[in-house]
Amino acid sequence: MMNKFWGNIFRNRQRQADEIDALLAKIPVFQDLNKREIMMVKRILHQREYRENEVVFQEGEVGLGMYIIVKGQVRIVCGPGEQVLAELKDGDFFGELSLLNDAPRSASAVTQSPCTMLCFFKPELLDIINRTPKLGCKILFRLAWAIGERLISTNQQLSELSCTVPEA
Amino acid sequence: MQDKGNVFLKLTLFAIAAIAIGFFLFTISEIVKLVIIASLLAYILDPLANIMESRGISRTSATVAIFTGIVLLSVVSYFVLLPLLSGEIKSLKSGFGPEQTGAMVSRLEEFLVTNLSFIGVREMNIAGKLQGAMAHTGDWILSHIADAASLVTSMILIPFIVFFLLKDGREFKKAFVTLVPNRYFEFTLYLLYKLDTQVGNYLRGQFIDAAIIGLLAFCALWFIGIKYYFLIGVFTGFANLIPYFGPLAGALLATFLSILQTGGLEMALYVILAFTIIKLIDDALVQPVVVARSVDMNPLTVLLAILVGGKLFGVLGMLLSVPVTGFIKVVIHESIVNYRKYRTI
Repeated sequence: MMNKFWGNIFRNRQRQADEIDALLAKIPVFQDLNKREIMMVKRILHQREYRENEVVFQEGEVGLGMYIIVKGQVRIVCGPGEQVLAELKDGDFFGELSLLNDAPRSASAVTQSPCTMLCFFKPELLDIINRTPKLGCKILFRLAWAIGERLISTNQQLSELSCTVPEA
Repeated sequence: MQDKGNVFLKLTLFAIAAIAIGFFLFTISEIVKLVIIASLLAYILDPLANIMESRGISRTSATVAIFTGIVLLSVVSYFVLLPLLSGEIKSLKSGFGPEQTGAMVSRLEEFLVTNLSFIGVREMNIAGKLQGAMAHTGDWILSHIADAASLVTSMILIPFIVFFLLKDGREFKKAFVTLVPNRYFEFTLYLLYKLDTQVGNYLRGQFIDAAIIGLLAFCALWFIGIKYYFLIGVFTGFANLIPYFGPLAGALLATFLSILQTGGLEMALYVILAFTIIKLIDDALVQPVVVARSVDMNPLTVLLAILVGGKLFGVLGMLLSVPVTGFIKVVIHESIVNYRKYRTI
């Protein structure tokens, strides 16, 4: 009976750990990493639990890093009217720009359901670059790539928008 | 009105908690002292472990390698430097020998009576007083070193704590951050990051500065021909950890011993000149490169810190008080500067 109890606990933990490994491997920032490197990154990530409607970070605050949604939904809002910019779910990530600059957060993030998130912050990224430069370079390259992708997408949206607005 | 009441309640609870924690820490002050020393050492050694890690060595292996190096260094110090240091202390304890002391003090007394008779200096009979004072100084140094050496528990516990702080420091920090509520989470991490950078740089800078100044004093005094050059060099290095007063203490000790050694002021002048040059080198070349300016403290703060440290923990407290005050200063400064950037309060 007791063995079954402990067996269940360890099986659950192992399943959760495997799920996180699989999730991290899918995140573009960590896509170039091998299994050992993923384990190294996993060790420095902070896992946090959030309630429904909890503010993860607020517009205007100093940003420290990115959040990866393991489970749950998060809404990105901005401005006094809380205009919704994006709705994110399991496997999505946000706030990655803060890993590279010290600018205040450009939008707020609020949970829409109970969430489990992994947090990857600048001090840890700097620590990785310091201790294992090869791994740091891989992450930085993929980070630059991810931000480049977002920039291309923003440019496309902007050009589509400018086409729809008639010239004065 | 209710908001004001809540704030007052929060502040009262915070004050009670702070007093309770302070009282608890005071009652276990011996352990706190060990943890502070171990943390300072771990901070100083951390970059070394990081460099080794960046060369592909695991954190555990890097920590073991650093400790092996320290043990080897301690063994060498024990067999080479300790006999030299204890010889000098014993020599200081017994004075300069009755005959030498007598001749030397007579010369000094003669010099003072001849040159300062116009201000009323006459027979002073200072031989006995000085002999007593020197024996007392030797006793004082010996008793404090003997105290430190007899603390076998400290000698075992400090390396033990340093080892685990160095090896698992990140895990400890992560475990601590896990306890922080979501609302204060990013702010705490940001604060820890700032503290880590500033306090780490400050402590490492002070340590390197003290080592360089100690070495310079050692070389200069050896060159001048002072008898206790090694002892004064070590003392100057340690004293240099205390801003403003430390360098002065080293120079005063060296000047005092040089006058006692020769009975004249000629060597003392060389000593003062040497310490002035060392201070200039320190201010112009060493400090701008190695010591972080971010933890600058004014002389009054340093003096108060030394007095409180000395009162609570004795000589060791005086040495540790300045880095600890620097740490507290950074915590308060960074908390005030950064709290508005977050919605913590």
